[in-house]
Amino acid sequence: MVRLITHNLLACHAKGCTSNNFPLLFQDAAVELRDADFNADFLRGFLPRLEWPALVGAARQLGDTSLPAEQPDMLDDDFLQKLHHVLLEIHVEEGAMVCPNCKHVYPISNGIPNMLLAEHEIG
Amino acid sequence: MPDVQPATVSCESLQSYEATHVHAIYDEIAPHFSSTRYKASWVGVDLGTGNGKYLPLPADRPGSVWTIGLDRSINLLKIAKRAGDVDREVVWADVLDNPWRRGAFVCISLPSLRLNAQHWGLKRAYQDYAISIATIHHLASPDRRKFAVQRLLEAISPVHGCGLIYVWAVEQDDLSKRNIPARASQDELRSGSFALTGNGQDVFVPWVLAQPVEPKPKTRKQRKKAQTPVEEPESAPLATDVPPQIFNRYYHLFSQGELTELVMEAALDVGLVVGQPPEVDTSGKRIRGLQIVQDGWEMSNYYVELRRWEQ
Ligand SMILES: C[S@@+](CC[C@H](N)C(=O)[O-])C[C@H]1O[C@@H](n2cnc3c(N)ncnc32)[C@H](O)[C@@H]1O
Ligand SMILES: [Zn+2]
Repeated sequence: MVRLITHNLLACHAKGCTSNNFPLLFQDAAVELRDADFNADFLRGFLPRLEWPALVGAARQLGDTSLPAEQPDMLDDDFLQKLHHVLLEIHVEEGAMVCPNCKHVYPISNGIPNMLLAEHEIG
Repeated sequence: MPDVQPATVSCESLQSYEATHVHAIYDEIAPHFSSTRYKASWVGVDLGTGNGKYLPLPADRPGSVWTIGLDRSINLLKIAKRAGDVDREVVWADVLDNPWRRGAFVCISLPSLRLNAQHWGLKRAYQDYAISIATIHHLASPDRRKFAVQRLLEAISPVHGCGLIYVWAVEQDDLSKRNIPARASQDELRSGSFALTGNGQDVFVPWVLAQPVEPKPKTRKQRKKAQTPVEEPESAPLATDVPPQIFNRYYHLFSQGELTELVMEAALDVGLVVGQPPEVDTSGKRIRGLQIVQDGWEMSNYYVELRRWEQ
């Protein structure tokens, strides 16, 4: 699946594309919402790993504006619920991710992102 | 939040001062303090995840570990994405690729976390990791296998990342499970007096694909029959008249010590010191290294467990 938790970790790796290659931009994203088990401890532990502005931006591209622009200091339940939904319950099933720098297109099909490169594109 | 106030340390007894102003307070606020500390959330990647067999691990703490599966086979990924009947994250890529943002598997606010972790005896809790099980042996040259190891080393935290690699062994039967020493020493590798030979064996391992009987409607009459809903037998019978298809998979079977050498050479190539972290920081200069935590032979596989460190 491409959920935002994964999107937050992926970057363009085409040959020579080493800066401004993150975050990838969604294109023609078809989204499915599916419930996932809520685990507050996991979310707290995951927070320091997140690139926050990238997560907020990606959620907005998918039509979810529930997250604040700045990561809050207080991790109350209301915030964690929103984070949970954005990270784990929004599935991008079809569409693509495009590199903001070199415009390479990484297609998403059946919820699986295709990060393969052609031989000549490998860095 | 209330302001931080200057404190005057009265000198009668520092021990009782701390007892009042530190320990008693931690006791009082313990449950809340604990709930504000970051708990264990491991993040890892399974390089060559196949059907995602290892994605649900550890079974006793589901949700505490987040493992992303990477593989080159789209059809295996379609299975892996529901491994253990739960939605999994999988990525279609090559183990020679590095499709991750820098520090993807690294805790961003690591220094403070690390201090906390050590302080609270949770050191292992923050380790990010990569595993590659029975995959690197499918790469067809010593260099490509080395590059795959390097991608794995890059994917994990340079400060605390762990890795585990398994590959098939030439020795496919009972062997001592004791650690097998590498054939080349670190010095030999560094001085270039030892070249990677990759002197295991390149082999094809056949996969016999038994074909279930498929209704192959040839005539109109048969086709019609196939369309009528009939009770299917419990399990599809295997065709006896159709010869099973045989697919030969390429494997490089590793010889004794070869995987450990490969990992060491991969590490040295990217400027890591191989060995244990020095006890004390003498030079003041930052050094990064890789420690082979464990290596050996297990059930026809060689394995290496490794850890990156920084001083
Ligand atoms: C023997 S299976 C092991 C699967 C799984 N790790 C396990 O132990 O059950 C080998 C896997 O490696 C994958 N593989 C082989 N070469 C690869 C490559 N260059 N990049 C990514 N995956 C690769 C195959 O698609 C297959 O899923
Ligand atoms: Zn790019």
